[in-house]
Amino acid sequence: MKWLRRLLRRVANLAAGRGELDERLCEEIAEHLALQTEENIRVGLSPDEARREAKLKFGGTESMKEKYRAERGLPLIETLVQDLRYAARMLRKNPGFTAIAVFTLALGIGASTAIFSVVDAILLRALPYPQPEKLVRVWEKAPDGRFMNLADPNLDDFVSQNSTFADLAGYEYWRSSVAGGSEPVRVNIASVSRGFFQALGVEPFRGRAFAADELEVHGAPAAIVSHSYWQRSLGGAADLSQFHLRIEGAVYPVVGVMPEGFDYPPDVAVWIPRELYPELPGRTGHNWRGVGRVRDGITIAQARANLSAIARRIKEQYGKEVDLDDAAVVPLADATVGDVRTTLLTLLDTVGLLLLVACANVAGLLVARTSARRKELAVRVALGAGRGRLIQQFLVESFLLASAGGVLGVLIAIAVVKALPAILPTNLPRQEGMAVNMPVLLFAIGAIVSVAVSLGLFAAWRVITGNLQEAFATGSRSSTDAGASQRLRGFLVTGEIAATLVILVGAGLLGRSFLRLISTNPGFSGRNLITMEFSLPTPQWQQGMEESEVVRQIHLVEDILTRLRAIPGVETAGVAGALPVAAGDNLADGTFLILNGQNAPADFNEFNRIAQNPAQVGRAYYCVAGEEYFRTMGIPLIRGRIFGGQDDWNSPNVAVIGETLARQRWPNQDALGQVVEFGNMDGNLKPVTVVGIVGDVRASGLDLPPSPIIYVDYRQRGMKANSSPTIVMRSAAPEGQIVAAARGIFHDLAPDVPVRFSTFAEEMNGWLANRRFLLLIVGFFAAAALALAAVGIYGVVAFSVTRRTQEIGVRMALGAQRGDVLRLVVGEGARLALAGVAIGIAASFAVTRLISSLLFGVSATDPVIFAGLAALLSLAALVASYIPARRAMRVNPVVALRYE
Amino acid sequence: MKQKTDVLQGTLALMVLKTLDVLGPQHGYGIARRIEQISGDLLAVNQGTLYPVLLKLEQEGAIASDWGASENNRRARFYRLTKEGRKQLQVETQDWEQTAAIIGRFFEVKAEDLL
Repeated sequence: MKWLRRLLRRVANLAAGRGELDERLCEEIAEHLALQTEENIRVGLSPDEARREAKLKFGGTESMKEKYRAERGLPLIETLVQDLRYAARMLRKNPGFTAIAVFTLALGIGASTAIFSVVDAILLRALPYPQPEKLVRVWEKAPDGRFMNLADPNLDDFVSQNSTFADLAGYEYWRSSVAGGSEPVRVNIASVSRGFFQALGVEPFRGRAFAADELEVHGAPAAIVSHSYWQRSLGGAADLSQFHLRIEGAVYPVVGVMPEGFDYPPDVAVWIPRELYPELPGRTGHNWRGVGRVRDGITIAQARANLSAIARRIKEQYGKEVDLDDAAVVPLADATVGDVRTTLLTLLDTVGLLLLVACANVAGLLVARTSARRKELAVRVALGAGRGRLIQQFLVESFLLASAGGVLGVLIAIAVVKALPAILPTNLPRQEGMAVNMPVLLFAIGAIVSVAVSLGLFAAWRVITGNLQEAFATGSRSSTDAGASQRLRGFLVTGEIAATLVILVGAGLLGRSFLRLISTNPGFSGRNLITMEFSLPTPQWQQGMEESEVVRQIHLVEDILTRLRAIPGVETAGVAGALPVAAGDNLADGTFLILNGQNAPADFNEFNRIAQNPAQVGRAYYCVAGEEYFRTMGIPLIRGRIFGGQDDWNSPNVAVIGETLARQRWPNQDALGQVVEFGNMDGNLKPVTVVGIVGDVRASGLDLPPSPIIYVDYRQRGMKANSSPTIVMRSAAPEGQIVAAARGIFHDLAPDVPVRFSTFAEEMNGWLANRRFLLLIVGFFAAAALALAAVGIYGVVAFSVTRRTQEIGVRMALGAQRGDVLRLVVGEGARLALAGVAIGIAASFAVTRLISSLLFGVSATDPVIFAGLAALLSLAALVASYIPARRAMRVNPVVALRYE
Repeated sequence: MKQKTDVLQGTLALMVLKTLDVLGPQHGYGIARRIEQISGDLLAVNQGTLYPVLLKLEQEGAIASDWGASENNRRARFYRLTKEGRKQLQVETQDWEQTAAIIGRFFEVKAEDLL
């Protein structure tokens, strides 16, 4: 423990300052010398002689004091403090250099920290459930590898026959109207099967889970609500027994509240037991999403093998009645993040490149400064500074720079993360956890340290390898070493340009995709469309709709539509069960039967039997619509007619189909007049006759080809199968005014119906948000990298001009023209740019492949983008070298020759 | 002329401890004088090296120091052995004697003893 005590004393001395002990030592030395002198006088020396002898005997005081001080304090820390002071002084003396370096690093570190906080929240952080690694999503797998949701009987088989799951449950969620709270609202509700909450391992924090009598057909209805719904609509009341929610015609007493932060499936406000309603018998009705928790000691691969075996058994047993032949089991964390992973990893890579570019820039500045400081360094070596000491000095300087940049960067990151929710796509999962928290700070610190160490070592590189004594022997400017460091900077700038080109190309490809996407014709005109999503009180779980219900619906909707059309400025208004290309995937798709003169099936067993003949089935989107819908959306009629006044409950049911479906399903015959059975979508087995063909719409997204679609008349079928009944209204008048008037009409005619007003442009934006966000961020990074690269080239060329002033003077004296000088200087920048661009193109070819899944209508090696951005970057490089070249052209040979 | 032995710090520290043990509290000059007397002119030209050693021993807690009056009534720093220093002296004395004894035996050995 001796060393510990000594260390503590040293630290204490360090804190106390050097004064006290120094004084004590001086006094002791004085006394020592005085005593020795007296002694010497006593033996007979003269006073002068005695003093001299005493000093001689004592030895060198300076080296002794050095030792004494070394013993007293902590030399390492003292030199560190010295170096810090020195470095701070140096940085203060060069405010321009310091500002550029700090700001550049702040940009790099800030951007990477902000992006990391997103990646951390979405990709890295564990899901907020106990033992989240055991949670999986479960699907049926089609022979072509497609993942499908689970059909009722298949889900039951998976649940009852597996031996690897602790809990396995099905769930589905949709937007619906919930009344019974403070006001009726449109929210997501989820129907969840037994074991759902157990699988996730979360219990209600208030009230209870579903009881046994609530988990059987026609049992007691019950609802569990989310924490935020409880707070917002139920006032956070402790007594739940007073609340009864009215959802789709049934009444559900509230029995429990989930804890804050429980958000699965996302944005769900109310959970109800799936078991309350009878199962659908078909094994191809993919109605349920599967989630489960594997048993302790079972791997996910084992669980997958187990469900695969069950799926194969189902296939063997039911043959054509099923369309699965395998099962898919994916860790919940991966399934939740889904295709966002590519987006995030692209962002992370881009920001990494940007950080590299920023570092290269600062490294270039440091190398230039090191070479300017060679004389100073040589003097320090001559005075006895060791190599390690010099490296320490460089490291301290780069640490100071990196920390300043890092602190600024973290502040930037905090601001950015605060602002992010405004630009983040709303469909990005798990973004609520985004914050500059401990792991993010650790990341920032890691970035700062690695930047500091690499920059410091890089700047010290010449010192470590070069021979410093040379700096004394040669003139500082013409030394070969300045040439070497110039080469090093050239090398850095080349790399910087290459990295910048990669970012530029990535941004370019994303940008071109985006332009392609928004200029794609969706098949309708989305401008000036106001949307009103509402809900009608319809029973969801019964088979088909009664005439009286349909008539009630028609009355209400037609009344509303008539009043809406009367608003001044409104051109047309129509209604449909769901919108194409909206933020949510609202149009349902399903399998229909082509009857070919056959009678319509009497029940669903017969339906399923006919469906086994592939020649008689087709697949299409199903949309319930009114006749004015087509005119309002601008969907053109191509042949036949659209719905009209003659179509009502008692007349034969009619359908209008999209061109693609007509071409796909009836390639060599007339689709008009074909009779189709699509009753599996709404439970009404009346067949429909195709009476018209309309233009295609890209219903499932602008990046996908037009989808086959069948429209049926809402006045014949009722508004039931689509979950988001929406009125669309075309008007060039100011939106606010129209919405206010429409709100009044809804309030008059249907005070209980919640309505969500929006514009079609907004709904589209929701769908485009993901791409827009990625493009925005990558575009910003590209611009930042371009600016940094330009500054980098400028720095190298400008330094080179200064260094070669004399040479340029000589050339001009010998007759070189201004044009020659221009070529000389710009040529240097151009060479660097060319090399960088060449490497950058090669690197881009390798890298852009990784983002090909994010592209649309443009190849990952699009020559226009590659050539255009290479040209842009080269142009920036030329401009950056032209500025110092102009200075070089104005060199006066007489002055330059004296220049040293 | 015989080369002056460069006193090892450890040895010097041990001498300091022994001196303080035998003579009681002493100022720096007194310790230097005593070591000089006993070891001949070992410390003759390098008395100053004593002070860093004194500081080291003090920081380790083997000795303590206080201001006091010297022979001619001026202020001087007096060093004294602490309890811990006494223990350290004992241990190191033993070590030293052991080492010296071993080395001594090696020096006494003649070629024929090893045959």
